[in-house]
Amino acid sequence: MAVPAAELGTRAGLNGRAVGLRRLLGPDYRMGYLFVAPIAFFVLSLVGYPFCYAIYLSMTHKLVGLPPVFVGFENYIRLTGDGFFQRAVVNSFVFTFGSVGCKLVLGVVMALVLSSHIRWRSFWTGVLLIPWVAPTVVSALNFLWIFDGSLGVLNYLLVRVLHVLPQGVGWLSEPGTAMASVVAVNVWRGFPFFGISFLAGMKAIPAELYEAAAVDGAGALPRFRHVTVPGLKNIMIIVVLLSTIWTFNDFQIVYILTKGGPGGTTMVMPVLTYETAFGAQRLGEAIAVALYLLPALAVTIMVLARYMRKGRKR
Amino acid sequence: MPQRLRGLAELLDAHVISRREFLRRTALITGSTAAGLHVLGRMAQAQGGPKLRVWLFKSYVTAGNDILARQVETWARERRVQLEVDWATFGDREQKFVAAIEAGNPPDLAEMNYQGPLRYRPALRDVTTLAREIAGARGGLLPYADRVMQLNGQYFGIARQAFGGGLHIRKDLVAEKGLKMPKVYDPDVIDVAKKCQDPSKDLWGFGQTLNRCDDGNGFMQNILWDYGGSAWDKDGKPALATTYLRQNTEALQFAVDTIQKHKVQPPGVMSWTDPSNNEAYMAGKLVCTNNGASLYYAMVAKKHALADKTQVLLTPGGPAGSFVFAGTYNWGIFKQTKHADLCEDLVRWVEDEKRFEEYMKASIGQAGAVYRSRAEHPYWKTDPNFEGMLQNVMRSVWPGYPGPITPAAIEVQAQYVLCDMAGRVVVGGLSPEAALKEAHKRIEDIHRIRSRG
Repeated sequence: MAVPAAELGTRAGLNGRAVGLRRLLGPDYRMGYLFVAPIAFFVLSLVGYPFCYAIYLSMTHKLVGLPPVFVGFENYIRLTGDGFFQRAVVNSFVFTFGSVGCKLVLGVVMALVLSSHIRWRSFWTGVLLIPWVAPTVVSALNFLWIFDGSLGVLNYLLVRVLHVLPQGVGWLSEPGTAMASVVAVNVWRGFPFFGISFLAGMKAIPAELYEAAAVDGAGALPRFRHVTVPGLKNIMIIVVLLSTIWTFNDFQIVYILTKGGPGGTTMVMPVLTYETAFGAQRLGEAIAVALYLLPALAVTIMVLARYMRKGRKR
Repeated sequence: MPQRLRGLAELLDAHVISRREFLRRTALITGSTAAGLHVLGRMAQAQGGPKLRVWLFKSYVTAGNDILARQVETWARERRVQLEVDWATFGDREQKFVAAIEAGNPPDLAEMNYQGPLRYRPALRDVTTLAREIAGARGGLLPYADRVMQLNGQYFGIARQAFGGGLHIRKDLVAEKGLKMPKVYDPDVIDVAKKCQDPSKDLWGFGQTLNRCDDGNGFMQNILWDYGGSAWDKDGKPALATTYLRQNTEALQFAVDTIQKHKVQPPGVMSWTDPSNNEAYMAGKLVCTNNGASLYYAMVAKKHALADKTQVLLTPGGPAGSFVFAGTYNWGIFKQTKHADLCEDLVRWVEDEKRFEEYMKASIGQAGAVYRSRAEHPYWKTDPNFEGMLQNVMRSVWPGYPGPITPAAIEVQAQYVLCDMAGRVVVGGLSPEAALKEAHKRIEDIHRIRSRG
């Protein structure tokens, strides 16, 4: 049977492309697509679709029980000029970086103490992990009672037992102490993660480096600065990165302790998102609140991730 | 089925049947069993009657909750209805409604608070006929409840009760000092609070948070009205820093002064949530506090020592009068229900006067009247403390007063705008005028957005 020359040319072209792909991707590249298909399907359906739908909803006027009405960037523009939202942004950064900074310092101290030759090291490690293991809701409710102005144990200790203060302090109700109190609870809950991660990192630093530094006459502080810190650098970046994301998205502690009050003093983005969604019941705007700082966070994560990869290449 | 499968497995082991034959027969047995079970399930369901999902509201008055649940279950047994009861609380009620409506899976019938009829209107059935039938048989709805249940003559909720309450005050302490019971906040409440309190013993004159919670919201709204102000004008437009600026400034100044100038409030009051004043009062740390009847209920039910030492008064007022808002709880039937007739039947059942009486008596003052005939029930004369609770409910106005109740007025409540305003003065250091202007801008935003429909 005669085959037209044009068809022959097409077949040859297709064969040539297939050979090229096979050479590039390996002989089983079709099977590869098959294997990747399920995970690609799940990622697209469980992450890609909801994310794109959220972006769409953030550009709508969406009230409960009614269909969304597309309003473009109106929600974002309105939020930009909203003083209450602006304070929530500032509060979120204060809460996040205040907490992460304290957790970093306490985590290093915890790791240094636990890596030294102290008695009952395993016991102390277990005790220090309790805040991290305990459910956040339980911890936050306990602190709510501890900080209570009238019935709280903290005021009781300071006023009645230790006689340090003449009168109780409204830990969660005064400008100077409300944010500090929620930060303190977040630090209390999160620092064991830093400490345990740093402890694991310290164990991986070769003892010879410390010995060599000691032979060169380096004291404890120079050894920490020139051996421990460089050895922990990568772990520190990962832990700080993860903790920044977690703390920025922390809802439970602030919501249970203050609900963002008093007067918005401790209002952070996740609580504002929740209040806008379920209090105001403006779902489009609530998603806009949640997504507003996503680009800034994404850039921070990308910069940190690139920095980490650069360190590894070196 | 397991025996037949075991038999097949034995045949396979003995090489009597092939592996393919084993799989074929196993699939047949499993499939036919599953289909049979499904049919049996449907038959059982058909025998058990239709299925109804009902959401009830769990208040702090637990005896009332138990009675309502029992009444609903009895109805289901009598009507042969399969009932799925779920509870919504103060803390998760709106979240549950939002999630269920948006997921397209609301209950058939739900007990909602005053916000429900207006907020969830797109998902609710028009219940005008039933609402009028029930109200008509009970002397009609009281005006404040009527306002909240309907929009332009269409009812989206069937009123059930309004939570009564008032100023809970230690009558033993007031008598000890030879003082009169307060009628207005300034100077009466402040005077009683100052003279009865003893901070050295951790006893404080007045416990009233301005923080983001229902108690703070209620007080802030009432105090604006008491001074002749409001967040809204008569046409339903924002008026916080315009029409009523002077009155609102005075009201806000008074609210802040209770903490900063008069120093009659306990430390930490700005961080209180709804249960905080109940706890502080029952711990003997307060001379007086505004609260719903649940505080009195808790003391009576627990035979608390302070129950007999407490008097519940009409909520105090200000220069323009004494105003309160008592939210009407109500039944909403959702559009998606396939059993609207059953939902209506259940509402008639629980609103039956004898059943409601049983519920009301167990609620110790909390089940305030929404219908005229219920307000005249002799029960309200059985305890002197009920008088204040009933009168508070009877003179209730509505969010948005002196204008109409609107979705924007409800959202201002739900977003705690007035509490944030007070917080900006007490904690943020703003002047009352600046805080009013800031809150006014938020209210204007809400009004603009909600005006779109």
